[in-house]
Formats: sequence, structure tokens, C-alpha cells
Amino acid sequence: MIALENVSKSYGVGDNVHQVLNNITFQFPYRKSVGVLGANGAGKSTLIRIIGGADKPDKGRVIRTSRLSWPMGYAGGFQATLTGRENARFVARIYGASFEDVEKKTNEFAELGQYFDRPLSSYSAGMKSRFAMSLSYALDFDYYLVDEALETGDARLKEKFRQIFKQRRQTSSVILVSHNEQTIRKNCDVATVLHNGQLQYYDNLDDAFMMYRKILFNKSVA
Amino acid sequence: MAAANVSKISESAFTVQLRVLHALILRELKSRYGNRRLGFAWALIEPLMFMSVFVVGFQLIGRGAPSGIPVPLFFVAGFSPFFMFRDLFSEISQGTRGQQSLLMFPQVTRMDLLVSKVIVNALVSISVFIILVLGLYFFGFSFRVEDPLGVMIGFGLMIVLGFGLGLVLGAISIRYEFVRSISEPLMGRPLFLTSGLFFTASMLPPFARDIALYNPLLHCIELIRSSLFVSFDSRYIDLGYVCMFALILVSFGLMLLGVFERQRK
Repeated sequence: MIALENVSKSYGVGDNVHQVLNNITFQFPYRKSVGVLGANGAGKSTLIRIIGGADKPDKGRVIRTSRLSWPMGYAGGFQATLTGRENARFVARIYGASFEDVEKKTNEFAELGQYFDRPLSSYSAGMKSRFAMSLSYALDFDYYLVDEALETGDARLKEKFRQIFKQRRQTSSVILVSHNEQTIRKNCDVATVLHNGQLQYYDNLDDAFMMYRKILFNKSVA
Repeated sequence: MAAANVSKISESAFTVQLRVLHALILRELKSRYGNRRLGFAWALIEPLMFMSVFVVGFQLIGRGAPSGIPVPLFFVAGFSPFFMFRDLFSEISQGTRGQQSLLMFPQVTRMDLLVSKVIVNALVSISVFIILVLGLYFFGFSFRVEDPLGVMIGFGLMIVLGFGLGLVLGAISIRYEFVRSISEPLMGRPLFLTSGLFFTASMLPPFARDIALYNPLLHCIELIRSSLFVSFDSRYIDLGYVCMFALILVSFGLMLLGVFERQRK
């Protein structure tokens, strides 16, 4: 289970306090792909960081009893002086997965060839994002945490990753955070809208989009 | 296109934490010493160069170390633990203050990062110390270790002190940025001069000694030298004071970290 329990988070001090998340309680449905829609500045990144444990909430708690991925494709946690293989091993180690499996899968998805044994600092931007995405897919998670971009690489690789994602959607849950309706429509079953520090759940994608548009174009709706 | 199996979720939090620490320590060691040509040798060279300067200086002005301790050994026993303390302090204060991209992995906590840094730094510094001492021994500076446990306690206390001080100043500088720029020179210079790197407590005039003994590092270094050399025994070590100091630093640091956590940008 991945759930938020009375989670609040604010930034700033004194008169400048900005309440980003306001007492959110929400359980992310199992084996469904949930979209989280939010306008710029609605607190999407904060939400991702809280769910993933990079930030602590001021109040409340996050329950993580399922295997949760790090934000998919995020490469910031890798060490540039280490090789692709060494970084893959690090990730395998913290998740308690088999090295062999993870290394094999990562290389199979990313098609890095001999670069797999070179330091990440020698990778091009494209290779790095391919590597990061592949490593996220190389492990088998209950919940995949996705921040905006799912797409990487040329048309062929894009298609390849799309296929992998489609497959994973059937067996795992997805939490996809985006400001883009199209991304959510393509990849999600249900959606929530993040607005004014609150997370509103919609069974039906169209209802969520309607609400989201109202928020975008008419600030008076809360 | 199946994926690698991730370990079961039913594991205890403790197992997960051990696994994370293991991974972090290996990663840190590898990225520090793995792919560089000089690698670990550099960890030896820096203190070696530093100490040689002082050893040569002491020889030039014709001063010996007290109680018949060979001069190079006298310095190694002071500089090694002090450098360990200094490195720990700066790594921990950085790790406490900064954004850590590794925290993006759900099971990695800030405490894991800090603890792994403590372990790696202590391991490296203690290895360097042992290598230097053995090296000197084989070069003919013979001595007999009087009390290995005392040496370990001395190092152990300095590890806790470095961790605690790093935590306190790191946490404060989350909120008060300027603390960061004054903390290193402020802590570095006075501590460098009063921790007993160049003297023992008994060599100081009484009034200076009374002041210097407020510095817990001086007690630790006195303890390490007393335990290392049969011919030297300090009458000024107060372990109760050092333990108290260390305990207060760490708990105060943890408290501050909790207070300033939400003001991180």
C-alpha cells in the first residue's frame, strides 16, 4: 500500500509561508494507473518528493508498505564517476534484487553496449536518460512513480519503452504526475487533481480533465 | 521483458537499512578510491606531507617530543585522529545541510547517508593511522602499544564528536546560511591549535591548560597517546566530560535537524 495520511507540507518562514500540501489523506489504488494533474506551482514536485521519501512532511505520514520505485528515469541519484554497471549494482543492492538480473535487463533495455562499463560521465544526455529509464524498468515494482516524462530516445526506443510500460501497467500500479492532459489520458486509468493543497480523486478521466480546465482557466473555482 | 525480482516487502526495516548502508558504503568507497589511479594512496599522502613539515620543523628547532616518544610517532598519534575528526565534521555538516539526490530512492534516508559517511571516513582514517604507525615501526621507531582499547576509545569518541559537531552546524546552516561560511575556519583554526597536536597538556602553563582542557579533543588525543606509548601517561584525561560533551552535541544536533528540516529549500 502507498498512502498519504494527513500529510501537510509548507515552505518558507515567517510571513512567507506557502502551504503546498494541506492535510491530504489519500490511498493510491492498487493495480491501477493513477494520474495526478496539477497546474504549474500546484505542488506536483513536492508531492513526488514526499511520496518517494526525499522530503519529510511537516505533519502526517506516508505509508509505504509496497515496493515503490524512485521517480522513473530520474538520473540524479547516480554517481557520474561510476560505470553504468556499478550504478545498476548499487540500485540492485538497495532493493535487494539480483545483480545479474538487473544488469542484464538494464543493458537489454538501454542498448548501451560497451558503454555499460564506462563511467556515466562519458555518456551523452540521451544515453544517460536511456540508462536511467531502463534501470527503472529493470526492477519489478508494485508502484512505479513517474514524474512527467516517460518518453526518451528516438522513435524506435520510444516505442520499445511504450511497450514495456504498457506491460507493466497490467501487473503493477502507477502514480503519474503531470501537468499535461494528454500524458494522463494515454497512460492512466483514473486521475486526481492537485489544487490548493488538496488532492481530489476522480474515477472518470473526463471529470478530472473538466475540473482541471476549470482550475486553469477560471481561478475562482476551488 | 520481465523485470528482476525485488526482495520481499515483508522484510524488517532493520534489514532494509543494513542493506542500504552496505550499498552506500561500497558506493562511496568505489567512487572515492575505485577508479582513480592514485586511489587510496592519496589518503595517505595528504597527512604524510602535513606531518613531515612539522616533524622536520621540530628537528630544525631542536625540540623533541615529551616523555621520550619519537617525534614522528608523537605527531601521527595527534594528527591522524584530528584529521579524521576534521573530515568527519565537514562531510557530516555538508550532508546535513545539502539537498541529497540519493534521497530520491524511497528506502534511503538522510540518516543512512550520514551514518555511511561516518563509517567510510572512520574506516579510511583509521586504516591510514594504522599504516602510518606500522610504517614508522618498520623504519625503526619502535614502541609498545600499552592499551589498544584506550586507543579505540579515543578514536571512537572523536568520531562521535565529529559527527555531533557536523550535525549541529550543518543543521543550523540550513536556516542560517552564513554559519556555513564561518564554521570551517572558526572551528578549524582554534581546534587545530588547542587539541594538543603540538603539545601535551602537561607542557602547558597551568592557566592555558585549564582553558585548553575545555576542548574535548585534547582529552581524546591525550588518551590516544597515553594508551599508545608506555612511556607517556597523561593525568588530565576526563572521559566523563568528553562523553557528556559528545552526547550533548549529538542530541542537540538531532533536535536541530528536526527543527530546521522543513526550512530546507
